Amino acid sequence: MKKSTLLSLLVVSSVFADAKLDLLQKQLNKQQMQIYALETKNTNQSASFSQNAYLPAIALILNMSAVARDVNNTAYEDLSIPGFIDYNPTNKNSKAELPFNKSRGFNLNYAEVAMHSAVDPYFDAFAIFHLHPHEFEIEEAYVQTRSLPYALRIKAGKFKSNFGRMNFKHQHSWHFDAQPIIYKALFGPDAISDAGIQLQWIAPTDTYIMTGIEALQGTNERSFGDKEINNLYVSYLKSSIDIGEDLSILGGISLAHGKNLTTHTTDVYGVDLTMREQLGAYSSLIWQSEYLQRNKKIDETTNKQGGFYTELIYRINRNYYCGVHYDAITKNDIDLQRYSANHINTDNLNRYLVKIDYKPFSMSRLRLSYSYDRTKVIAGERKNINTVMLSLNIAAGAHGAHNY
Amino acid sequence: MKKTILLTVLLATVIFAQVNVDATYSTLGAIAKKIGGDNVKVTILGSSKYDPHFIVPKPSLLSKLRRADLLIINGAGLELGWLPPLLRNANNPKIRNGANGLLDISHFVPMIDVPATVSRAFGDVHSQGNPHYTTDPHIVLIIARAIEKRLIEIDLDNAKAYQTNLINFTKKWQKYLKKYDADMQMCKTKKVVQYHQLFNYFLERYNIKSYGTIEPLPGISPSSKHTIWLINTIKDEKVKVILQDIYHEKRTAHFIADKTGARVALIPHDLGSLKDTGTLESFYNTIKEHLCR
Ligand SMILES: [Zn+2]
Repeated sequence: MKKSTLLSLLVVSSVFADAKLDLLQKQLNKQQMQIYALETKNTNQSASFSQNAYLPAIALILNMSAVARDVNNTAYEDLSIPGFIDYNPTNKNSKAELPFNKSRGFNLNYAEVAMHSAVDPYFDAFAIFHLHPHEFEIEEAYVQTRSLPYALRIKAGKFKSNFGRMNFKHQHSWHFDAQPIIYKALFGPDAISDAGIQLQWIAPTDTYIMTGIEALQGTNERSFGDKEINNLYVSYLKSSIDIGEDLSILGGISLAHGKNLTTHTTDVYGVDLTMREQLGAYSSLIWQSEYLQRNKKIDETTNKQGGFYTELIYRINRNYYCGVHYDAITKNDIDLQRYSANHINTDNLNRYLVKIDYKPFSMSRLRLSYSYDRTKVIAGERKNINTVMLSLNIAAGAHGAHNY
Repeated sequence: MKKTILLTVLLATVIFAQVNVDATYSTLGAIAKKIGGDNVKVTILGSSKYDPHFIVPKPSLLSKLRRADLLIINGAGLELGWLPPLLRNANNPKIRNGANGLLDISHFVPMIDVPATVSRAFGDVHSQGNPHYTTDPHIVLIIARAIEKRLIEIDLDNAKAYQTNLINFTKKWQKYLKKYDADMQMCKTKKVVQYHQLFNYFLERYNIKSYGTIEPLPGISPSSKHTIWLINTIKDEKVKVILQDIYHEKRTAHFIADKTGARVALIPHDLGSLKDTGTLESFYNTIKEHLCR
């Protein structure tokens, strides 16, 4: 029985010898493929920008400082910027928000947790949480489209508006730890940051031209804040040209149109200009300026107030940066009688800042700065404040690529 | 009359519609031009004068990315410090991560120096392996093949042209490599140190040993302690050449040269980063000449 089976098998195999040859050929091919697969096994198989397979890319940012200031802490908390932040002892809401570097001595400003991930082929998701010593804050949490046609992009959620030049930037990416006075005066420390929706478009031109519109809730009570309905609309136009390989210029105009707490209209206009000259691989010069004006209608009068900042940053080499910054309020057409009645001068509101940054590594930064602030009224008199500060910022985890 | 001109102009633009190819670095762009020929318009995003890890994210790059049909990247983390936000802000679905219009060449190159453990305590380590593979002239052919394959997928109408270009380029380049390899056989330089691990692919290809880097850890400026260690190593190992790239500071290299008698060789890391390195041939020739002199 066994023999006959073997015999028939042999016969069959000789009959199908050709077929067997084919099979061998196929096996050989397969082996070759396997060898090829082995050879190519050590090529980079990971997704281009992923840092952690499918986990969101996570970054941890810590910001802290040591501050010396010639005003004691209690007095400083009750500061006024005449016409913008008018502290009134009987109204707790009139206090300035001071989340950064408030105290003489030591400050832990925040621990920031930033996450982003592609949700699917259509959306990216971003979340930035600020953990203050006694407070948890959602700085931003939004989704953004990845695949709309015609260079359109929609963002929805809570986000920092793209108004102006500084507005969308987080505190740790500012050139100076202190916020420009005009931003602080018009919007407070978070600037225009709200729940809403944004649409942006890039023109199909050689020259960079970008325009965007945003519909926002308008919760910022310094300039807007009408509680009955979403009230804020922002639009802007930005353009940039390169002159040669090393000089780039970015300019923008912006408008924020909303309703304030008195349900009347507030318009804020902004113009900004940034010039950047690359001087070497690790050396550059940045000159950035911005002017903002607010026309805020209260009852029958429209109060026109405005100011600018201008700053020059010189990156000396791989590890050192230095910079100067000047702020000024240039327009303050508002009733300032409560100051003049007490013989408080409200002219020439301005501030000077200088700084040196030391970055031993791209993820850490030590910054020494000096500020001479002539915009404040404290305890019923104009007080020019001197501040020396040493701050430390570190970013661990996912590489936060540098913005322009 | 006017109408016919308009018509011919329109017709011409339809007929000669080029594929917009953006390449993050100039060597990749030059190879893309060889394969794409007249059917592509190549734009280089990153200047070869500066550090490829930190290209300035100028807004003008956004308008270039916005119109790209194909974006060729080096990959393996080299663009991590500048490209991702630009890509998100360019609003171009054709080249978003995962789309056919994004070609990551590192997926085709056998990676070297892949670290077993990664921590920023060791500096700004390339966690996916050494991304500086374009210094090896043999990898040019891998890049060319990857680009040809992707161009055919994107622009099927011109598949024949891309195939022909690849065949012609491969023939020419193999001939060039034959002579190049023969020249490198004669190269007396066998031991080097370098600033950053920029030239490892080239060095490994031609059995040249690198004994250390001037930067103590990737992305960290030289320290005196580390420099002294390097000087001793150069003396002990009789290293004759210090490879200096064009964008790092050159003082440390010259200091080490003074102390050891080793020669500083200025080596281009990308096409066009030195004078007269504007073609693939002159780029690789310059590496060879400056290294072996
Ligand atoms: Zn590197």
